[in-house]
Amino acid sequence: MAELAKVEHEIELAVDHARRDFLKILTVATAGVGIAAVAWPFIDALNPGAETLAVSQPIVEVGGIAPNTGLRVVWLGQPIYIRKLTDQQIADNQFIVPDTLPDPADFTSRVKPGYETFVVVVGLNTGIPCELLGNDPSDPRGPYDGWSCPCDGSIYDPLGRVRSGPAAKNLAIPKFTFLNDSQIQFG
Amino acid sequence: MSEQTSWLATRLPVAATLRAQVMGILLPRDMPYAATFAALVTGAVIFLILSGAVLSVYYNPWHGFDSIQFIIRDVNYGWLIHGFHETGTTMLFGAMYLLLFRAILHREYKAPGELVWFLKLAVLLLLLLTGFLGFTLADGAQSYWSLQNAALAVSQMGGLPGGLGNWFFGGPAGPSTLARLVVLHTAIALIVVLVLAIHLAAKRAIARIPGRPVALHPYYTSQYFVAFVVFCLIFAVLVFFAPHLGESRLNLVPADSLVVPAAITPPWYLLPETGIANTAASAMGHLINFLAAFAVLFALPWLDLSKPGTPPKFLSRVLSYILALDLIGLAITQTAATSILTGILSVLFTAWYFLHFLVLLPLATATETN
Repeated sequence: MAELAKVEHEIELAVDHARRDFLKILTVATAGVGIAAVAWPFIDALNPGAETLAVSQPIVEVGGIAPNTGLRVVWLGQPIYIRKLTDQQIADNQFIVPDTLPDPADFTSRVKPGYETFVVVVGLNTGIPCELLGNDPSDPRGPYDGWSCPCDGSIYDPLGRVRSGPAAKNLAIPKFTFLNDSQIQFG
Repeated sequence: MSEQTSWLATRLPVAATLRAQVMGILLPRDMPYAATFAALVTGAVIFLILSGAVLSVYYNPWHGFDSIQFIIRDVNYGWLIHGFHETGTTMLFGAMYLLLFRAILHREYKAPGELVWFLKLAVLLLLLLTGFLGFTLADGAQSYWSLQNAALAVSQMGGLPGGLGNWFFGGPAGPSTLARLVVLHTAIALIVVLVLAIHLAAKRAIARIPGRPVALHPYYTSQYFVAFVVFCLIFAVLVFFAPHLGESRLNLVPADSLVVPAAITPPWYLLPETGIANTAASAMGHLINFLAAFAVLFALPWLDLSKPGTPPKFLSRVLSYILALDLIGLAITQTAATSILTGILSVLFTAWYFLHFLVLLPLATATETN
């Protein structure tokens, strides 16, 4: 027994600690890389796939929308209204003092810079959730030439700001970007 | 404790418990690599639960086959996760059968190891059930008809087995059957983890205290590490180069309720059990044969007449190896095209299986003891 302990002690003295530590770090690091490489597919499999992303980021042609009319598209189950303003509507709404409105918002916060003729909103009344009327010039649009709600009578201007009504909030603006003059992409 | 302990350690002494209960347990110096099989089984089960959790996000039991195609083709890395799950099963059963063979070879079932042996068999039974259910979830032609036959057979049995089978499958196979089998597949897999934990506790309880022990860490953690690396290497080779190993080609074809495949082959890990069951003619006979095959395994501690603690001698060792070859042969007869020869061979192999446990082993161990 004592002899064995002595041998073990000699072995312990002979150990190259720097070399052992290096091998230990190398082994643990390699194992860590391996575990990470296996873990990534598990994580990425729960990310949305290409098909889902393609559906959730549609591109919509807006070049063909006539001034004073709106296009209705459905995105993620919600009606989206894309409306092209007339010069008159822009002039009427551009310089209104926001503080006089029920839900203050200025002109620039409702449109994208460089594409001021287009208004893109979620076409649901913010009071009772009803689809708004007013995309077609013959629809009842209310006194501000915007949209009106057939359910509770709330009135919106062409920028989607609430002007009267039981509703107290402006229309929501979905996430989108202009790709060029005639195309927008949602998401 | 005199040393300063951290805020967490005084409230939840994880590190200290881990040091005492896991890293510090004392083990003999001469454990072979084969002693890591139980750890490999546990690791494989956990890996399968993780990959199964990801698959279950996208799997739709009402359109089982199509949803697996969706997973393989459209989900990010879905092909890989699916391959992990499918090939992981092969690795799991490989380790499980080696674990059992080693237990037989080393007579680990003799007193006081009976309970550990029973728990190993319980794990095998649960894994076979989980594996079969997972196989039916693939919903290909083979899976569909395996499930259809099993559900029909049990529903026609009548009495308690028929009632239980109907409760389990929800009647002969239909879309709602797969929906419930998803739940059962998951639930039984989680029960396997529990039984594995009990198995570990039972094994620890009867472990003899070695004369000159070493601690688990770092002596055996490094050994486990090497075993896991080799296991993962084989696994990776199979996943990337033989992803459909042991799978019938017909299972890559959607099931047709009007076209019965010429031969219905279960996954490879069920082949020996199927071979034994199929030597009977009726559904009830299949069940009785299957139960009898496990009954002799459960009775093994008493069929082996050697004194506890004596290592097996030449004859018993040879018999154990012959038994392993016998079961491999039985599996091969199930995959080969049905003929008179395979019919006779499977009966012979089944007969040898029961002869081994009921006659040869008691005789051999009795002679070796005297």
